Amino acid sequence: MTELATLTALGADAPAQRHAGALTITENAGLALASLALRRGTAQPAPFGLALPGPGGWAEGRGVSGFWTGPGQWMIEAPGRADEDFAAALAAEAPGCSITEQTDGWAAFEIVSDSGDAPIRALMEKLVNIDAAAFGAGRATRTVLDHMGVFAIRRADDRLAIIGARSSAASLWHALAETAARLEGVGT
Amino acid sequence: MLIPHPLLGLRDSSEFTYLGDAALLDRPDGMAEGAAARFHDYVHLRDNPAGIHRELWFHEQGDRSWLVVTRNTVTHEILGAELAREARLKGGAA
Amino acid sequence: MTRLTGGLIDRSQTLRFTFDGQGFAGHSGDTLASALLANGVRLMGRSFKYHRPRGVFAAGSEEPNALVELRAGARQEPNSRATVVELFEGLEARSQNRVGSLRRDLLAVNDLMSPFFAAGFYYKTFMWPRAFWERFYEPAIRRAAGLGSLSKEPDPDAYDAGFLHCDLLVIGGGPAGLAAALTAARTGARVILADEDFRLGGRLLAESAPLDDAPATDWIAGLEAEFASLPNLRVMRRTTVWGTFDHGIYGAVERVADHLATPGRRVRQTLWRITARRTILAAGATERHIPFQNNDRPGIMLAGAMRTYANRYAVSPAPRVAIFTNNDDGHRSALDLAARGVEIAAVIDPREGVRAQGDYPLITGVVGNAKGRLGLTRIEVVANGGSRWIDCGALGVSGGWNPNVHLASHHRGRPAWDEARHGFLPGTDGPAGMRVAGAASGQGSTAQALASGAQAAQEALADLEISATLPDLPQAEDAGLNLHPLWHVPGKGRAWVDFQNDVTVKDIALAHQENMRPVEHLKRWTTLGMATDQGKTANVTALAVMAELTGRTIPQTGTTIFRPPYTPVALSVLGGGDTGAHFRPRRLTPTHHWATAQGAVFTEVGQWMRAQYFPRPGESHWRQTVDREVLATRKGVGLCDVTTLGKVDVQGADAGEFLDRLYCNAMKSLKVGMVRYGLMLREDGHAWDDGTCARLGETHYVVTTTTAQAGPVYRHMEFARQCLWPELDVQLISTTDAWAQLSVAGPNARRLLERIVDSFDLSNEAFPFMACAGLTICGGLRARLFRISFSGELAYEIAVPARHGNALMARLLEAGADLGATPYGTEALGVLRIEKGHAAGNELNGQTTAQMLGMGRMVSTKKDSIGAVMSRREGLAVDRRVLVGLQPVDPADPVVAGAHLFAEGAPQGTGTDQGWISSACFSPHLGHAIGLGFLENGSERMGEVIVAANPLQGQSMRLRVVSPHFVDPEGGRVRD
Repeated sequence: MTELATLTALGADAPAQRHAGALTITENAGLALASLALRRGTAQPAPFGLALPGPGGWAEGRGVSGFWTGPGQWMIEAPGRADEDFAAALAAEAPGCSITEQTDGWAAFEIVSDSGDAPIRALMEKLVNIDAAAFGAGRATRTVLDHMGVFAIRRADDRLAIIGARSSAASLWHALAETAARLEGVGT
Repeated sequence: MLIPHPLLGLRDSSEFTYLGDAALLDRPDGMAEGAAARFHDYVHLRDNPAGIHRELWFHEQGDRSWLVVTRNTVTHEILGAELAREARLKGGAA
Repeated sequence: MTRLTGGLIDRSQTLRFTFDGQGFAGHSGDTLASALLANGVRLMGRSFKYHRPRGVFAAGSEEPNALVELRAGARQEPNSRATVVELFEGLEARSQNRVGSLRRDLLAVNDLMSPFFAAGFYYKTFMWPRAFWERFYEPAIRRAAGLGSLSKEPDPDAYDAGFLHCDLLVIGGGPAGLAAALTAARTGARVILADEDFRLGGRLLAESAPLDDAPATDWIAGLEAEFASLPNLRVMRRTTVWGTFDHGIYGAVERVADHLATPGRRVRQTLWRITARRTILAAGATERHIPFQNNDRPGIMLAGAMRTYANRYAVSPAPRVAIFTNNDDGHRSALDLAARGVEIAAVIDPREGVRAQGDYPLITGVVGNAKGRLGLTRIEVVANGGSRWIDCGALGVSGGWNPNVHLASHHRGRPAWDEARHGFLPGTDGPAGMRVAGAASGQGSTAQALASGAQAAQEALADLEISATLPDLPQAEDAGLNLHPLWHVPGKGRAWVDFQNDVTVKDIALAHQENMRPVEHLKRWTTLGMATDQGKTANVTALAVMAELTGRTIPQTGTTIFRPPYTPVALSVLGGGDTGAHFRPRRLTPTHHWATAQGAVFTEVGQWMRAQYFPRPGESHWRQTVDREVLATRKGVGLCDVTTLGKVDVQGADAGEFLDRLYCNAMKSLKVGMVRYGLMLREDGHAWDDGTCARLGETHYVVTTTTAQAGPVYRHMEFARQCLWPELDVQLISTTDAWAQLSVAGPNARRLLERIVDSFDLSNEAFPFMACAGLTICGGLRARLFRISFSGELAYEIAVPARHGNALMARLLEAGADLGATPYGTEALGVLRIEKGHAAGNELNGQTTAQMLGMGRMVSTKKDSIGAVMSRREGLAVDRRVLVGLQPVDPADPVVAGAHLFAEGAPQGTGTDQGWISSACFSPHLGHAIGLGFLENGSERMGEVIVAANPLQGQSMRLRVVSPHFVDPEGGRVRD
């Protein structure tokens, strides 16, 4: 294995974490990502047994998950496999499709609430123009957050992932942490 | 504004970038006779109506689909939206 | 002194505050205005132009006069309306617009000079002598103009923004809004109720009339308890919905912490963007007055406001008051004040046959004048063919009520004049999805407001297929106004219409005389309806006066256009909280950490931070550093992070064909394992962006773009893929961030790379110039290698997954120590490419063509590609300017980018302009400045001496025209 060391998207040796009231935000530096796009004539695959979701959806499979990113296009997630060539592994599962490595194009932040969905909804209200009530578990979308394009994934009622461009990870982290802290300050 | 994305439902227009008249779908054949005159019209001439307008929007901070949106430029009422690739395959902006 | 009993204030909490340095006390529930009145203070400001003494006129956000400066230091805020400032302990306020004290404003002399300050005065006065304008008049007017002053320090408070979604937005928490919210919230629908006040109730808080035989506040309290139990209802107090935008989108400001001494950990205000499927505008109505001579004395106010002060704030502006009204509502003020022990001097009512509604003197007549410069002392009543003076310390004036149609008119809809109600109602072409209820729709009695609010909610929800039951509503008063229009009292002196802008009936007459008759001209000529109150208490009266003068009707005269914001919104909150370093996102390269440790100086390139140069100890000037970096690269090997250049992954069976159509040069013929320079044109034939296209596999390419155009090129590629050629099998995705890309350039580049690749043949035969490959490095890490050169040296770009980029750069620097490995930044990058004669952004500025760049032959005639046809048009073909190199005849001279080029000895003008200098730098290799530029017929003028002119700075230099390839013109080094 390579002797070259790695840095997280925030430029540190280890992933960052922040607690703010009911919310905990954790940098998910181990998340592998690869894009899968159908080519003309290829049937829609089920890589690693994952049933690829329809528009606006996120689905879980065996050790992987995936969300729809465009017509005939999905982003496949593999937690913990960021140091592998996950794109190559995915290509083997989806022959005839266009596979592109994306792991290091993104910085992923997992947000967990310890008191149900209310803190997640309160956070979403301050970050994105997406109706939180219509964005329940299993929904995913790209949208704008503080002038940055991000993917938002509702992994569960009490879990939200925000994935933004790696190069602006620090700006995204600041937006998430600051907003969560302000919610804590108000106490509602 | 809210754009009624055919696959994703109503979306904030700030997720999009705007290009202009959907007539841009009808790109002339560059190798055909009279291409120069046709390209001049394609590049420079627009109807610019005060009223119903078919126009191209790119869902840049969304699913990156190009859409053809039918919008009233005076009232901003949006009458519909379709995927541009489908509009193009059906036969351009007509 | 003038404090009454009762009211909605909490006497158990005493709050101390200062006004103009003097200490006072009030209670929780007071506004600054009510507390000042309670302390006998009637003088609260000076008018805009004439500096006349002014008191508070209204009790709400429509206040035109009582504008104060709140707080001190960095949090100082001008133009705060005292009527909506919630009193808090320690509040500091100061009056505005005076020189000297409020009582002795030195600029009151303006009032004596008032004929010089009539409407449009700046078009007619202060013109002679001409020289005096700039030296005296303008500075003086500028100092005197404006309202309030800024601290000029950065705002220390925090603000934020948010997004809300609901089925029904109810704007206004008065009787109509409360009934609507109750009706809707009980169905489980998602409802937002917003009110600008700190309490719900609207006008109910100002009235003594009972609901179901109990105080209105009882009913409101019951509602609030039910509201709190409904999770689908969000009640937003202190929240002004200030603008109606498209498709049910509304802008609102929530004043989270304005009413606290300091926000503490909270944000001060939040900007909300509310998307509502349906909306009910229940914004109430604003009272209008009746202008008469000298009607601006402190103590003269709206009759409804006087009633609000009495009932809600337990305050009377004076022990003895009078009322001037043309409708029944004015009488209600007299009744309520009398019930609280205030002496009613008289109710003056012009309507014949009207009877008093209580035990107070009623005079059928009008008020013609008022005295009491610093506070009203008496009014002149004109009645029975004569006139007499009546002593009183305050006068409440009621000319009727104007529905608050603003938010219903933000889509350019015009309100409609209702002759029966003598007021403008919301037009029928209002914003989609909005209904208007209560006084805002002309249904102003309490009973009407309650019923119409509930009804509107039921109808709105029916649109959404939600069934709502009308709730039981309390019995309430249902009186009409019985108004007889009286738009102003004719007279000789000045009668104020718009208090904030100091506009009188005479000014309107002057505007009419000067043919500024359409209401939009009236507004701009007189400034009536501008500034912080936007004429809320003046507009309708003004256009009625203009209608009289022109002989047209009020509906024929019409209103001006209503625009957001409804009330002023601070720029701080419109910014949404992004300030300072986080004003906008910042993009960092994968080697940012390493570069910082190296002491790099960074520069902004769009949103990116890029290392500009890497100073070493002992280097005191950036030129020393950059010269060193350039020399080191050409001598040994330089290292530079070039991740920021856009990268697009292109795959699919038709990828090659697709790229052939995007680039002007042939791309389909590119072989696997090779890279080709590509030029993209705009469809109008101009050069747009350049980069490289690398074929990594049969159906796999990586396209690079310039840093600045990465986004637009990607957008364009998707446009071509989806909109122009959807039949092609092509898939695209951006990979700019995913791969760290480092430039390794210089004669030792190959030797350095040999030390990190995992058994990969880097020989010139196996991996020639413009080759590319996937490989592994550093013990198995997947990487991509591209042999391309921007510098003109033997060079490569190596790409690895971004998380390894930092370590790779450090590794290369360490491994190349004996090879002279040197980090270089964007400055040296620029010098290297200028020395080599490579076009970059300056040359691809959207105004140049392939022809001008010396790449005319690259535009293939054998295929169609974007821009090819238009690139051959005559309009572009006649341009004879081409890219050349330039160097100074005198080696000590600079070469100035942006300078324009002229033949030596020729006059310098636009007609003789022969081109311009696009890039320039100092070349350490040549020891003098060099540049690239576009010169007419440049390729035929090699060796000629021309002139570069920079007239802005008076520079003129003689330059020699040379080849743009200053270093290694044969290009042998890249192929080594």
